[in-house]
Formats: sequence, C-alpha cells, structure tokens
Amino acid sequence: MNSQDQLWDVAVVGAGIAGMSAAIFAASKGLSVLHIGNGSGLVFGSGLLDVLAVHPVKDSTVHEDPWHGIELLRKDEPSNPLALVGPKAMEVAVNQIMEALGKAGMPYEPSTTNHFVPTSMGTLKGTFGVPTTMTSGAKAFENKWPTLLIEIRGLREFSAAQMVHTMGDKWPGLRFEKIEFPDSKGVFELYATHLATALETNKTRQAVIDIVRPLIGDAKAVGFPAILGLSESTAVHKAFEDALGVPVFEIPTMPTSVPGLRLKHSFEVAAAAAGVFRRVQSVVTGVKFDNDIATLTLQDATGNQEVQAKAVILATGRFMGRGLFADREKVREPLLDLFVEQPESRENWHSRDFFAKSGHAINRCGLLVDSKWRPTDAFGAVVWPRLYAVGSILARQDWMRQKSGSGLAIGTAWAAVSAMSDDFGSIGGV
Amino acid sequence: MEDTVFNGGFFTTALWIALGVCCLGLLWRLVSWLIIKIGPDAKEVSFLQRLGAAIIGGIKAIFSKRLPGIIGGFVLDSLLQRRLFKVSKKRWLGHMLLFYGCLVLIVMHALHVLLADKLFSDYQATLNPFLLLRNVFGVATLVGVVLMTSGRKKDWGKVRPARLPIDALFGILVVVIVVTGFLLEAQKMSSPKAFNRMAEEYGIDEDEIKGLRWVWKLDYGVAFPDLKGEPDPDLLEEGRGYNEDYCVGCHSKPQHAFVSYPVAKAAGLIATSTDAANVDKGLLYIHIFACFFAIALLPFTRVFHVVADPISLVVRGAASSAPLSKAGRVNRRALAMDACIRCGLCDFDCSVGPIAKWMNNQELLPSRKVQATRLVASRSEIKAGQAERLAVGAHLCTDCGRCTDRCPVGLDLADLWDAGRGDLSSKGFPAPAVWVKEEPAIAWAEALGAELGRVPPAGPLTADRNQFSACVQCQTCTNVCPVVANSGEDRVDLAPQQVMNLLRLGMNDLALGSKMVWDCATCYQCQENCPEGIRVTDIMLELRGAAWRQLGPVRDRRRSI
Ligand SMILES: Cc1cc2nc3c(=O)[nH]c(=O)nc-3n(C[C@H](O)[C@H](O)[C@H](O)COP(=O)(O)OP(=O)(O)OC[C@H]3O[C@@H](n4cnc5c(N)ncnc54)[C@H](O)[C@@H]3O)c2cc1C
Ligand code: SF4
Ligand code: SF4
Ligand code: SF4
Ligand code: SF4
Repeated sequence: MNSQDQLWDVAVVGAGIAGMSAAIFAASKGLSVLHIGNGSGLVFGSGLLDVLAVHPVKDSTVHEDPWHGIELLRKDEPSNPLALVGPKAMEVAVNQIMEALGKAGMPYEPSTTNHFVPTSMGTLKGTFGVPTTMTSGAKAFENKWPTLLIEIRGLREFSAAQMVHTMGDKWPGLRFEKIEFPDSKGVFELYATHLATALETNKTRQAVIDIVRPLIGDAKAVGFPAILGLSESTAVHKAFEDALGVPVFEIPTMPTSVPGLRLKHSFEVAAAAAGVFRRVQSVVTGVKFDNDIATLTLQDATGNQEVQAKAVILATGRFMGRGLFADREKVREPLLDLFVEQPESRENWHSRDFFAKSGHAINRCGLLVDSKWRPTDAFGAVVWPRLYAVGSILARQDWMRQKSGSGLAIGTAWAAVSAMSDDFGSIGGV
Repeated sequence: MEDTVFNGGFFTTALWIALGVCCLGLLWRLVSWLIIKIGPDAKEVSFLQRLGAAIIGGIKAIFSKRLPGIIGGFVLDSLLQRRLFKVSKKRWLGHMLLFYGCLVLIVMHALHVLLADKLFSDYQATLNPFLLLRNVFGVATLVGVVLMTSGRKKDWGKVRPARLPIDALFGILVVVIVVTGFLLEAQKMSSPKAFNRMAEEYGIDEDEIKGLRWVWKLDYGVAFPDLKGEPDPDLLEEGRGYNEDYCVGCHSKPQHAFVSYPVAKAAGLIATSTDAANVDKGLLYIHIFACFFAIALLPFTRVFHVVADPISLVVRGAASSAPLSKAGRVNRRALAMDACIRCGLCDFDCSVGPIAKWMNNQELLPSRKVQATRLVASRSEIKAGQAERLAVGAHLCTDCGRCTDRCPVGLDLADLWDAGRGDLSSKGFPAPAVWVKEEPAIAWAEALGAELGRVPPAGPLTADRNQFSACVQCQTCTNVCPVVANSGEDRVDLAPQQVMNLLRLGMNDLALGSKMVWDCATCYQCQENCPEGIRVTDIMLELRGAAWRQLGPVRDRRRSI
C-alpha cells in the first residue's frame, strides 16, 4: 500500500503518546488512519502512566484519587484540557490504552487509584498506570516489607545505595547488594537496554538468578533496575519471581529507559493491531487546506511526497517534540503557524523564582481549541473545520507539575477523536 | 575414403601431435588444481597434502551414501542444465543443441570406427537413420552456436561477462568443421570418382554398371559428365535391379541428407563433377585439420569446463555433506578457476552489481572477481591502480551469498571471496574497516588536519547542522545499538551518541576515524528509536563513505613515504 494513493479519513501528525493514542482510537472507530511521526518522545517515558497526581500545583497537593483531582481541577481551572476531558471520559480512555498495551506485550495492573512507586531517585512517584513488572515495588513500600535492591556495577543510571540512603528512614527493612553482571568484567560502562536483552537469554538470566538467590536472606521482595527484558519483559519478570520465590519488581530509571523503549514498541504493536497505517521516519513539512481535503507534504530521506486526508489531528508536542518553537520574541507553532496563547512578552515567560512551585507562564502556553478540540485563532474562530489538536501542545496545562502527562495525551486524544467521529457521522464521511 | 586418409603418415602424425598437445594441456590444467595457491591458508598446505585431499575426496565421493544425490545433481545441473533453463530458455536451448550436437557427431561420425560401429551392428553412415541423423545433429550444432552467440548483449545486458579470443576461435572452428562436413558430404554425393571406387570394390562388371550409373545419376545425384539426355528404359530397369541387389542395403536415398543434398544441388555439384578440381581433397583437409586444431585447443578454452564442471559439481555434493579439509578447500578454489565458465549468471543478482556501472568498476562483479582472485593470489606484482580497483570490488561485496546460489557449476564463491580478501590484505590492501582501525581516531584527525587544514563535512547530512543539532544526548541510540551491546571488552571507541556529539561540536574530523563508524551494522535501530528523529544511521554511513574517501589518500601518501 502506498500512503499517497488514497484519501485518508484522518492523518495524525506526531508519534508521542498523544499521536499514538489518537491514531489507535480513530482506527478502532473504523476510520482509515495515516500516522506520520519521526522519532518519538515515547522513549522518554518511564512506563508509568500519569493521569493526574498533583493539584493545585502551587501547593504540590498529591492526590490518591485522580478522578477527584480532575473534579477539583474543573472548578479551579475550567479551561485546563484535563478538565475539559472530564473524569469519566478520561477513565474510559486510559483504560482502553492500558488494555491495548497489555495485548501488545506490556501489561498494566488494573487500576482505579494512584499508586506510589519507588523510583531510582529514592522518591515516590504517584501515578495511575503501573506496568505489572513494577507493581510489587509499590506494595513492598506500602507494607514496609524487608526488601533487597540489586545494584549492578557499571550501570550508571541506577544507584541502589542512593535509594537506600534516601528512603532508609521511611523503609527500615530496605537494603542493597551490588553485583557484577555476567560477562561484564572489564567493561567500564553498561547500558540498561543491553542488559535487558541479555536477560532474555536463559543462560544470562540463570546466571543472574544464581548470583541473587544467596543474597535474598530475609527479604520478602527483590527490586531490580528496570532491565528485566525488553520485548519479553512479562516472561523475564515471571521467570525471576518463580526462581527467587519472592515478589520481584522493577524500579523505573532515568530517561531514556528500558520501559520507555517497551512503551514505544508496545504502542507500535497496538497501533498496527488497530489497523493504523504508519509512516515512520517522515516529518510533515507543510499542510494545505481546501474545502474538504487537507494535503500534507511528507519529507523523508528519499524526498517529498504529498498525502491527502479528510481530517488532521495535530499531536506534535511542545518544545522537545518540536510542536512549539521559541524564538527571540515569541513562541510559534512551526507547522501551520497557528495562534499560540502566551505571555505578552518574553520577560513574563518565567517567574522571578526559577524554582517557583506554581511553575512558569511559558509552561502553560500553547494552542487554544474550541469545544470540539479544534485550534482557534485569538478570537475563537476555527482554523479549518476538521483540524484537531491534542496532547501537550495544548495551552493552559502544566503536565509536568500536575503529573498528568499520559492522561493529558490520552484523554485529549480520546475526546478529540470522539468529536471528530461525530463530525464524520454528520458529513457521512466514513 | 576417411578410412584411407589415416593410412598416410601425415594425417596420423598431425593427429598424434594434436592429441599430444591436448593431453599435455589437460595434464597441465589438472595439475594446476593442486598448485594454484589462493587464500592465505593456501600457504599452509603442501602439494602432497593437496594431492592426498583430492584422491581421498574422490574416493569418498564415490563410496559415500550421497552418491545418488551427487549423480542426481549432475544429471540436473550438468546434463540438463537446470539453472540455465531458469535464466534463459533460449540460451539453454542453444547450449543443449551445441553440446549434444557435438557429442553425437563425435560419437557417431568422428569416432565411428571406435564407437558407432561397435554400438550399432548395422551402422552405415550412408544408411538411414544415420544418414538423416548426421544432418540433424550438424544442423543442431550450428543452430546451437547461433543461439549461444546471438543476442548476448541483449540477454546479458551490462553485466555481460568478458569473452576470451581463444573461446571465439574455438567457436569458429566448430562452425568450420560442421560446414565443411556438409560440403564434403554434398561433394561426395555427386562424385563419379567415389562411385567408381565403390563399384570397383564390389566387383561390378562393365555391363551391370551402365544401368546402375543411370540409376545413380537420376536417384542419387552423381554427376557423370558423359550421361546426357534420357536413358533407355530397359537399361534403367535393369540398373534398378542391380541397385536393389548391390546398393540399397547400404545406401538410403540422399534426399534424407536434408542439408547436404540441397547444398549439393544448389551448388550445382549434382550437374557438374568437381572431382577434377580436387575440391574434395581441399575440403577434407580443412575439415580434418580444423578437428585437430580444436582437439589441441580444447584444454586451453572455456570448453574445458566439460571436464572441470562435473568435478566441481561432485565436489559441491561432497562438501554439502561434510566440510572440506583445508587442503580440499584450497584445491577447490584452484578448480574454480577452470570450472568458472564466465557465464555471468552470478552477476545477475549480485547485491552490489547495480553500482558497478555507477562506480565505473567492473571488478565489483562476481564473474570478474573469479579471475581477479587468481591474479591477486599470483606471485607477480599487480599494478597499484588495478589492485585498488580489485580491492574495492573485493571489499564492497556484502557476502550476501547470492552468487554462490546462482552459480550453475557449484562454485563456493563465498569461500573464494573470503580467500581473495585475505590475499589482498596480505598484499597491503585490507578492507577500509581494517586499516582505519589501525590508528586511533585522534591520529587520523591530526593527520587529516595536517594535510587539509579544515576538514570538510562528510556530506550533505553532516554539513547541515539541523540534522543533528536537536540531539539531546539522551543516549537512546547507544542504548539500542547491538554493536555497542556486543562489543564486550573490546569496546567501540565512541558510542553513537558520542559520535553525534562530536558533530554537534563541529569535530567531524574526529568522528571520521572512529571505530564505531566502521563497526556499525547499519541496523537502523538508533535511527528508528531516536526520540529527536535524527538520522543517526544515515549519518554513520555518510561518515563511513567520507572516511574511505578522505582517509584513503592520507594512508596512501603515508605508505609511499
Ligand atoms: C523526560 C520525560 C519523562 C516523562 N516521564 C513520564 C512519566 O513518568 N509518566 C508519563 O505519564 N509520561 C511521561 N512522559 C511523557 C509525557 O507524558 C508526554 O511526553 C507528553 O504527554 C507529551 O505527549 P505528546 O504526544 O503530546 O508530545 P510528544 O511526546 O512530545 O510527541 C510529539 C511528537 O510529534 C512529532 N512531531 C513534531 N513535529 C512533527 C512534524 N512536523 N511531523 C511529524 N512529526 C512531528 C515529534 O517527533 C514527537 O514524536 C515523559 C516525557 C519526558 C520528555
Ligand atoms: S562463477 Fe559461476 S555463475 Fe559466475 S561466471 Fe563463473 S560459472 Fe558463471
Ligand atoms: S556475495 Fe558478493 S559478489 Fe556475491 S552476489 Fe553477494 S555481493 Fe555480489
Ligand atoms: S538518540 Fe538521538 S537525541 Fe538521543 S543521543 Fe542519540 S542522536 Fe542524540
Ligand atoms: S545502525 Fe549502527 S550505530 Fe545504529 S544501532 Fe545499528 S549498529 Fe548501532
């Protein structure tokens, strides 16, 4: 199939969580979906799916019940995209994605509330969706089980010593052991992904098990850095639990991490399963609209091509994803030059206190959308009737401080695709 | 008459000389299979070891359980030319006609005293079906030659393998032999001299011969100059009677010689006797000397493959059940030099074939590399320019193995390429990945800087800052890189993300000489996973190309100092 030979129902631009989710939702509704994205912020993810943990940001209030948090948000910040999605739709959307990821090889523990997962920094991260390989960590902390952490020499992004140092007073039974990974003698620096794939082989896995087993002692759980398999994490994790006889959990490491790669891979598998047609390794360099059809220019290593679609979903992210671009004067949306809501001048981008808990104005700049998730100009007029915007590119949110990255991406994708498919119904598109 | 020519010493001597040359040639080529040294490991085995390997290999092949398989393969690949059939029906037909045409003519005609007479109790060249068949196979041979030589350019396209003059000469000889054969037959049909000789042999008397001559003029086309007008019907009737008695047992109607007879007629031979002009003698000399010449030439032409190829196929059969010994492998490489028929089939699918034209270097093509391997292995010095071209051909090969799959004579080309690269390395032309890694990246950067001042960007990607400026040094590329993962203690010097960082810092000269650039397996994992969409692999490849172009001359200049 050639993507330029057909008129697509939807073209989704962007391969982060928002773009992936939008593509999967749209395809599940029976629409033909062309997904374009080059590179993907997905690998930055920790594997944990945050819906909403913190509100209000200025007080750093952490919520155990994300739905309650969204209800509060609705009162305090009614135009925050998370508030616009609402708790009901959010729950449906996030569960649907977790289910799809599970089928694609990255299962999540069924969840109704936030969980507090110990991280490699020695902190607890409140999050909603926890991969099954990480759930015992939250339980171990909650019940203060005597727990053994395994540190691996040469793996610089993970220090169990640091974790014990920071968490030790809250978690007295926590201790660590440092081990030498099989066949790594003389190697100065180890990379998590390489260890993860090595653990997918019986020989290496058995060797690690043999090293760890005598170290368990009275521990009721064993924690590893997130290296238990890459695409086979479920099986590797189970093999460790079976062999060690205690719950085993992974501790999310700093980006870019193995779970980030798993997340990317699983999203790709899920998108393929939903029937999404993907154009990887290409970027959209231009979009032209006429009455009913959008023409997108794609660029890849071989040159330019044009594709056509009846609707476009923009999920190009913020500064890191290159959906927004800041020059000397202002923040711009580089692809379509859409209106970006932002402070009057550059001086107001950041608060005087760089570490201000409430964050900075620049964090909340972005696209404005109407009730159907369509970008508008400064006066509320839509740019094109079937152009939608989802994910972190939207204004009036601060996903990083709200701890709501995945929720924002998945929830807005769900809401926009629902609005769009209603629209398709009314124009008899599908 | 053929029987008589050999009684004279001249022809016999010539034949012995031709056979002598042929045998010496055969011996020389057979021995060369145990002498030619291709591959670095060839120096480690002695002549006796190689002889032993050949003998043991032969015995093993004969007594192995795989013999039926080997024979089956021989029938399909050698006798039926299965692979050629798949490539070109036309060339397959040509090859079959030429080979079997020649074979039958040799057995039934040239060697009839030795073979045909013994095989068929009633063999007579002038009797059907033999009379008819000789013409059939003569024609088959000629058609075969035409099919094999015509449209070579069209069928083989740009990858047409080189043809040696000696092979063309051999082809011409075959045509000459067959054409003179037809002419001889035609001439003989019309020759009163031949008729008289036969009549004498059979003791036919004066009276009988009168009628018989008329019968042979009218029915067999003998050009008796004195017989004019219409014969007396009674005389003719009588002649027919004698013909029944004496001749038909050995002579079918000449019309069955469907080429020679029309030729004889068309050339007017039937009407005028050419006996006086000694045309027959001339033709016979050409015919026979062409045969002798062909015999003497045989071991030195491509036709020698009729000997080498079945052996090669047997060796392949044997090698597929148990790996050959070192000596066996070395022998096999030498055998390949003769077994390769320069058919060019290997060039068809060669993974690097398409760029041969673009690089203007035919030495990339496997059919050319076979002979190049021998040249490189030979003791003599190769011209520097040529050696470099050969080295490019040898090192660009991707070892995809398609040529080995294709080769109709079962050559182990993969092994040959490996050996060839070894020879090139030992002559001072190792693969770029080898010589680049002999110096650390910093040394290359300094040498380049000293020569060029500012080192130009490797290519369009490295020249364009936007291609890598977005790199956030997240290390994903290194994390997913299987080469870094499997390099163990012998670490790559710079991981992919460090190479990208060098580019960001404008130190592309340092990136050029890095081992990573050469160890990269171009698996595209890094590019596929880079969150910033940076074309990491494409950049690696660009650096590799530039390293070859820019560091190569630096190395050559240093070598010449
Ligand atoms: C360091 C880090 C840590 C994180 N940790 C967590 C976590 O613990 N929990 C969690 O839930 N989430 C986490 N996230 C992920 C976060 O949820 C998402 O990045 C965020 O929601 C934004 O998603 P997005 O899809 O809107 O944008 P992005 O993820 O930024 O995706 C935008 C995509 O659009 C593509 N793009 C841009 N322009 C074009 C174009 N013209 N043509 C084609 N493609 C284009 C980009 O290449 C990119 O792939 C983390 C992210 C980061 C960066
Ligand atoms: S190597 Fe094999 S395929 Fe290639 S030219 Fe020689 S005989 Fe033909
Ligand atoms: S192995 Fe080398 S020579 Fe043979 S087809 Fe492949 S690239 Fe060509
Ligand atoms: S993955 Fe991409 S962004 Fe990350 S270090 Fe490599 S090149 Fe840079
Ligand atoms: S393409 Fe090369 S650098 Fe990239 S991951 Fe593969 S081997 Fe490593």
